Amino acid sequence: MATRNRTLVYRKYRDALKSVRAPTSSSASSSGAGGGPVIELVSTSLLNPNRNYAPLSTEDPVCTEKSDASSRGALTVGLPPAWVDLSEEVAANVQRARVKMAELTKAHAKALMPSFGDGKEDQRLIESLTQEITNLIRKSEKRLQRLSAAGPSEDSNVRKNVQSVALLSGAFSIIQVIPKSSANRSLATDLQTLSMDLRKKQSTYLKRLRQQTEGQDGDDLEMNLNGSTSRMDGDDLDDMMFNERQMAKIKKNEAFTAEREREIQQASEDLFVVVESVNELAQIMKDLSVLVIDQGTIVDRIDYNIQNVASTVDEGLKQLQKKEGRGRGVMIHWGMDAPEPV
Amino acid sequence: MVLVSAVRDYLSRMLQDISGMKVLILDSHTVSTVSVAYSQSELLQKEVFLVELVDSISKSRESMSHLKAVYFLAPTSENIQYLRRHLVAPRFGEYHLFFSNILKDTQIHILADSDEHEVVQQLQEFYADFVATDPYHFTLNVPSNHMYMLPAVVDHSNLQCFCDRVVDGIAAVFLALKRRPVIRYQRTSDIAKRIAQETAKLMYQQESGLFDFRRTEISPLLLVIDRRDDPVTPLLNQWTYQAMVHELIGIQDNKVDLQNIGKFPKDQQEVVLSSEQDAFFKKNMYENFGDIGMNIKQLVDEFQQISKSNQNIQTIEDMAKFVDNYPEYRKMHGNVSKHVALVTEMSKLVEERKLMVVSQTEQELACNGGQVAAFEAVTNLLNNESVSDIDRLRLVMLYALRYEKESPVQLMQLFNKLSSKSRKYKPGLVQFLLKQAGVDKRTGDLFGNRDFLNIARNMARGLKGVENVYTQHQPLLFQTMESISKGRLRDVDYPFVGNHFQQGRPQDVVIFIVGGTTYEESRCVALQNAMNTGIRFILGGSVILNSKRFLKDLEEAQRLALRTEGKTYPINLEAKIYSSSHPPSDKNRREEPIFLLTKPDIRRS
Repeated sequence: MATRNRTLVYRKYRDALKSVRAPTSSSASSSGAGGGPVIELVSTSLLNPNRNYAPLSTEDPVCTEKSDASSRGALTVGLPPAWVDLSEEVAANVQRARVKMAELTKAHAKALMPSFGDGKEDQRLIESLTQEITNLIRKSEKRLQRLSAAGPSEDSNVRKNVQSVALLSGAFSIIQVIPKSSANRSLATDLQTLSMDLRKKQSTYLKRLRQQTEGQDGDDLEMNLNGSTSRMDGDDLDDMMFNERQMAKIKKNEAFTAEREREIQQASEDLFVVVESVNELAQIMKDLSVLVIDQGTIVDRIDYNIQNVASTVDEGLKQLQKKEGRGRGVMIHWGMDAPEPV
Repeated sequence: MVLVSAVRDYLSRMLQDISGMKVLILDSHTVSTVSVAYSQSELLQKEVFLVELVDSISKSRESMSHLKAVYFLAPTSENIQYLRRHLVAPRFGEYHLFFSNILKDTQIHILADSDEHEVVQQLQEFYADFVATDPYHFTLNVPSNHMYMLPAVVDHSNLQCFCDRVVDGIAAVFLALKRRPVIRYQRTSDIAKRIAQETAKLMYQQESGLFDFRRTEISPLLLVIDRRDDPVTPLLNQWTYQAMVHELIGIQDNKVDLQNIGKFPKDQQEVVLSSEQDAFFKKNMYENFGDIGMNIKQLVDEFQQISKSNQNIQTIEDMAKFVDNYPEYRKMHGNVSKHVALVTEMSKLVEERKLMVVSQTEQELACNGGQVAAFEAVTNLLNNESVSDIDRLRLVMLYALRYEKESPVQLMQLFNKLSSKSRKYKPGLVQFLLKQAGVDKRTGDLFGNRDFLNIARNMARGLKGVENVYTQHQPLLFQTMESISKGRLRDVDYPFVGNHFQQGRPQDVVIFIVGGTTYEESRCVALQNAMNTGIRFILGGSVILNSKRFLKDLEEAQRLALRTEGKTYPINLEAKIYSSSHPPSDKNRREEPIFLLTKPDIRRS
């Protein structure tokens, strides 16, 4: 797979042409910024490979008192919009949930191993981990919903021509909505895979737990049955003598049975708890699946999405223009000093 | 496989080194290239949150400097102009420019000049300048494909554009494969010769450094041939799945547009037919219609079973299992409904146009002899009212191609009948086809009636009977590939360019058909490759043809050819120019006459 890098040649030309061009004033560089706070950085490269979604405001502005020549290298950087913070939070939550999943797997494995204790702490640990993960996923889901809730409502505003406030932010939001929904989709996919992972782990754990408890009970009950039948076959002659021993044995069996019952109870409680969390997750999954793209369908095609974006933007633009026309008409009619639509 | 994976590798490399949120900006060419190889969800995984076209981006003025822009464009002058405007007023924080083919120095100059803000971080050439629709099949989607039929005198500059585009596309394919081939071309075709020679010049002289790859023992072979050597294949009706969908409905960049055909639910109006993403399609794309019907029925049965079990949810476990399997279930549902919709639609069309009868005659014309029987059959079908105009035209063309020299009187009769029956038929089109692709112009033995060996083979085949009347035709390409495999491609018919030479058989062969390929031919290539003979064939063309497209190219070429000869000069135009020499009266005071006079290029060819 051959490629050719022309960057060096390009830089050579660029530097040569730079020296020929007249130096531009610093005001020219600040004219390119859009809405929002702006930071001037005098540097040739803003690459900081460690940051993924970090808002650029945390970078230290490096202002020097260099000569005019440096102002040509100045770049105005707009802050990314606020929703980037939200999406970063969701991503961090997903990451944390992944770590907890790994812990949960270990806890599952430990609980399933035969142990001498009654394994109560293991169960508790598993429960708490599952709960935490579910909470994280829920929180992320809520944040995700907030992200997309903000978006579509502004979209529908533009579409339904509601208020002039929407007008002002409308132009801003059409473009903003698109990358937002894309970010949503990718995070939603992550969340969905995470939830599915969790569910799969839970179901395997459940299965194995059930196997274990049934296995134990089955054995014991069998033993008990055998034990009691053998009791019945005893000679009646030794009734008196065996009475005490019988009593002791019966008491022991009873205690045994009672313990077994308690264990079964405990196991079914655990099962119930896990099943509840399974249900919760099912609910989350359903909500998430709305956001996720189906692979291999037309929605997954890049050219289809470009067409859609183009038509949405066009429509939005048309609505804006219509609203503009109407707005002006209103102004003229009432002679009010309404704010100029964008 | 190799072409698709080359495009995917290029894209991954473009995106992986750039961290943070990205915007991908494409143009109308690269959109096709990227869409068939990469999906939207994969882009999202690489943090590309917006995809735009370079020409539409100018409408919005919003600055998004927290995004990094990755441009992937073809190095045309238009794109350079768009880029200039973008660089002068940059919207994004960083600009990474990638071009799909070789840049000229002047273009780099222009870009460097407009990059006042120094936002461009890198400028590279990634040679993904072709659309890899199938594992062994690519196309270049050349817009004015009909140019190949016209001699250079008609429209010199447009023909040069066509040749340049084709040469660049072929060069990109070999750069992606990292090989430099030995080039052969079809002797009887001027345009094939021209393209072969210009490609050789590019690879061995102009950019010999770029193409200087590690030389293997046996160089690959590039064979440039002309569509007109086999005009029969694009005219035939098809009965294997992929070819049939393209013939009856139309596939563009692996997408099928069902909007104009009938009433479909919103999410089925456009569907994707890609062997990479659809396992059922991959298994069935080369099967014939009857078998597809059975396989689809099987698929539907399987699906119904699963939905029945899904409805039977009693316990919580069942619920959990259902939710687990839901994404796959939904995908399967979409897939099944897509295939069912396509097959239903095609069955309907076959019924309407009586294609079973028409196609049988077509196949007879293409494969078997018997002029008298053929004439009778064609005449009957021409008289049949339910046969559509385009089918009538195809039948007459196939007859003409086969029995050009035998019984010209009957041929004339057919022409007359065709003109009288079809209102939209442009007279002279069949004759134009014969002029372009008649028996004198063809190199290959299209009907197997030149070579004694071929005649014998045909007779044997006729006696043996065929397993399916509708798919008995084999494109000429099959014979060409056989000759290459046996090392018996005649130098007389397919000479080498310049002093190229090749001993023995090549292991990699790229066959480029100037004028377009068909899905029947790509099926032929795929089946040949599946036989693992040790030679890998890749097929490419300027477009992917079906009969409609081929006929359109013919009509367009005929129109241009006639215009040069001054035969179709409209009369009212003359009158207007005549009247403009007199001062326009007040009654019809219009600006038009003067406007017309200032358009002299209509006269000039």
